[in-house]
Amino acid sequence: MRKLMFTRKQLAVPYVMFLLCFVVAPLIVVFYYAFTDAAGHFSLTNYINFFTDRNTIGTLVYSFCLSITATAVCLIIAYPLAYILARGGFKKRSILLMLFVMPMWINFTLRITALKEILDVFEGNLAFHPFLNTVIGMTYDFLPFMVLPLYTSFLKLDRDLNEAAADLGANKLNVFLKITLPLSIPGIISGVMMVFLPAMTNYVVLDMLHNSTYIMGSLIGSYFNAYDWNNGAMISVVLLVIIFIITLLTNHFGDDNQGGGRVV
Amino acid sequence: MGNNIIELRNIIKKYDGNVVVEDINLEIKKGEFVTFLGPSGCGKTTTLRMIAGFELPTEGQILLDGKDISDVPPYKRPINTVFQRYALFPHLNVYDNVAFGLKLKTVEVKDEKTGGTVIKKLSKKEIKEKVQHALEIVDLEGFEKRSVTTLSGGQQQRIAIARAIVNEPEILLLDEPLGALDLKMRKEMQIELKAMHKELGITFIYVTHDQEEALTMSDKIVVMSDGCIQQIGTPEDIYNEPANAFVADFIGESNIFNGKMTGRLKVRFCDTEFECVDDFPKNTAVDVVVRPEDIVITEPDKGAIKGKVTSVVFKGVHFEITVESGNYEILIHSTKSAAVDSEIGMNIGPNEIHIMEAEYTTNIFDGVISKHNTVLFADGEFECDVTQLYPGSHLDEEEYLITADGKKIDLTDVAVEVEVPISVLSMSDNAEEGGTCGNIISLIYKGDHYTYTVRTKSEEDFIITDEYLWNENDYVSVVVAKENIKLRLK
Repeated sequence: MRKLMFTRKQLAVPYVMFLLCFVVAPLIVVFYYAFTDAAGHFSLTNYINFFTDRNTIGTLVYSFCLSITATAVCLIIAYPLAYILARGGFKKRSILLMLFVMPMWINFTLRITALKEILDVFEGNLAFHPFLNTVIGMTYDFLPFMVLPLYTSFLKLDRDLNEAAADLGANKLNVFLKITLPLSIPGIISGVMMVFLPAMTNYVVLDMLHNSTYIMGSLIGSYFNAYDWNNGAMISVVLLVIIFIITLLTNHFGDDNQGGGRVV
Repeated sequence: MGNNIIELRNIIKKYDGNVVVEDINLEIKKGEFVTFLGPSGCGKTTTLRMIAGFELPTEGQILLDGKDISDVPPYKRPINTVFQRYALFPHLNVYDNVAFGLKLKTVEVKDEKTGGTVIKKLSKKEIKEKVQHALEIVDLEGFEKRSVTTLSGGQQQRIAIARAIVNEPEILLLDEPLGALDLKMRKEMQIELKAMHKELGITFIYVTHDQEEALTMSDKIVVMSDGCIQQIGTPEDIYNEPANAFVADFIGESNIFNGKMTGRLKVRFCDTEFECVDDFPKNTAVDVVVRPEDIVITEPDKGAIKGKVTSVVFKGVHFEITVESGNYEILIHSTKSAAVDSEIGMNIGPNEIHIMEAEYTTNIFDGVISKHNTVLFADGEFECDVTQLYPGSHLDEEEYLITADGKKIDLTDVAVEVEVPISVLSMSDNAEEGGTCGNIISLIYKGDHYTYTVRTKSEEDFIITDEYLWNENDYVSVVVAKENIKLRLK
C-alpha cells in the first residue's frame, strides 16, 4: 500500500475551509446587512441615523469611557504586580502567577454573581454606583489578561540592560524610565488590547450588575432582539472600524520595540 | 601607594554560604592593563562585578583612589563596563545608546555672574561632539542613526565599547568582551583594544578565560582559580615563572613532572638528575615545569634523557612531537621534525627548568569516629584502625577500645584529624567501593600520571593521582585501604 503523503498546501485545506465558513462568509453577511435597508437596497441611512442620534452617540461615548477606565485600572494594578512577579526572585513564581490567573478557571457567571453580592453588602443598592460597579466588575474579570502579557515582557527583559544603565550613571528611577518602561511597551499594548476591546462590547457584566445603561454590545443585542439585523450589523461595523484604527495606532508604537510579548 | 587607582583588600564574596571569592588582595596602578585570567567559575567575573558595584563584597574593602567605595552604587562610580553580551539598549539607536551616559551626566560649571559653581547638564552640542569622537575611536562614524539590532556582532561590540569610553571613566571594565566573536575578528579587536588603551590612557580591567588573549594584551595578569589568586605578574613572569602547577598548566602548554631535590641546585625527575637554578632544601618534593619549546632534540646518546617518538603533528610554525621515555610522556615543540618510532635524545638547560614546591603531598580532613569504629569525613564513612589513637590498645569483643593500661574507652563521636597521603588514594567508577564520592574538578598531566582534584558534596577536596585518564566532572568514589588512614586525636 502506498503511504499517504500530503503536500503543505493540501494540509492547509481544512483550515482554509474553516476560515471561509466562519470568518469570511459571516463578515460578508455582516457587511451586506450593514449597508442595506430593511428592503434589501443599498443604503447608508443606518450610519447617518447612528451618528446623528444623540442617544446612540451617547452610548458610544459611555462605552468608550467605561472601557478606558477599566483598562486604566487594570494597567495600574497589573503593571507593578507583573513586575514583582517576574523580577521579585520568588522561587515559586509560576505558582504565584497561577494564583492571579486562576479566576479565569472559575465560571464567569459565578464570579460576577459573587462580586454582585459583595458589592450589594457594601453599597446597599447597586443602582447607586452603576459606573463604578461596572468598572470593578470588568477589572476583576479582565485583570489576568493584562497581567499575562506584561509578565511575559518583564520576563524577557534582559537584566544586563538594567545593569548597563546603572553602570552608565542612571539611578533607579532613571533605569525604570529609560529602560524598563520603554521596553515593556509591547506588553502594555497587548494587555491594553486584550482588556479594552472586550470591555467595549461585553454587556453581560453590566446586565448582571444591574447597570441599565447601554454600551455598544447592548445596542447590538437590543437591535437583534427586535429582528433589526441591519442596524445591529451597522454597529458591528462601526466597532470593527474603531478597533481597526486602534490596532493600527498601537502597532505603530509597538514596531520599534524588540521586547515582545504582544498577543494581538 | 599613591598611584594605586584601585585596591581590593581582603575581599570575600559568598552566595548562600558558598564562597565564590576567597580573600582577594590586589592593587592596580593607574593606567595599567590588568587581566583576570582563569577557567570559568573561578570568581573572576564576580570580582569584576564587585569593582563595578553590581555585587557587594560580603567582607573586605574596595578602595578607589584610596577612598572606600564598597557601598557606593554603580551609577555613582567613575567606572564603566563593557558587558559580555554587549547589553545594548534595543529600543535606542546607535547615537542614543552611546549618548546614554552623557545625557545623565552633570558637570560643575563656573557661573560667570556670581562666581560660584552651578551644576549643569551637558549641552546637546557637547554631547554630539563627544559621541562622534567615541564613534571615531571605534571606527563606526556615520552609524549614528542605525538601529543597534541591525549591526553585526563585531559592530555591536564596538558600540558597547564606545558607550563606555564616551563617559571618560577612570576605569574601564571588560567582561570577556571578545568571547562572542570569531577568531579573526577577535585577533583584530585585541590589537584595537590595546591601541585604545594606549590612546585613552585609562585603566583597563579585562576578564578572560583565554590565556593567549591575556598574554597578548596585558601589562599585568592575575591568574585565578577556585576563588583565589594563584599568581599576579607580567605576562613574561606568568609564562616563564609560573607560581604553581595550576598556573603552568593553564598558561600555555607545558610538561609537568613530579620531582625531588637531590642536592644544591640539583633536581631529579624523569628518572634523571638535572642541574637547575631554583634553590630548595634537599629531598623537598617539587613540581617541575618544562615548556615544550625549551626541550632540545639531540642525537640519541648525546641527550640527558632518551626516548622514542610516538607522534609528530605539524602545527604551522612548529612540530608538536610526543616522546615516550620510560613511563614518562614528554611534549616537544620544535621547528625540526623527527621520524615517528625513531630514538632521540633530549636536553634541557638549567634555566628552562622551573621548579615549584609541590603544594600537596597529603590530604588532611576533620573527622569524627562513628559507633562502629569507622571514621566519618568528607561526606563519607571509611573503615579505619582506631587502635592507632592509643598506642598498645586493642578492641574487645563488644568493639570498645581497651587501652594499654586496661581502660575502656567509648570512641563514638570523638573528633579526629584524618590524614590520607596522596600516594595511597585511588578512584573507582563504582560508587559503593569507596568511602565517599565526588566530582573531578581539575586534572593536570604530569608526564607519567595525572593529578586529580575530586570535590565532594560539601566541598571537601581530595588530591588523587592516577596513571589513567579520567574526565573532568566524572563522578567517582574515593578508595583508600583501611590501614592507610592515619588518625590523630584533636
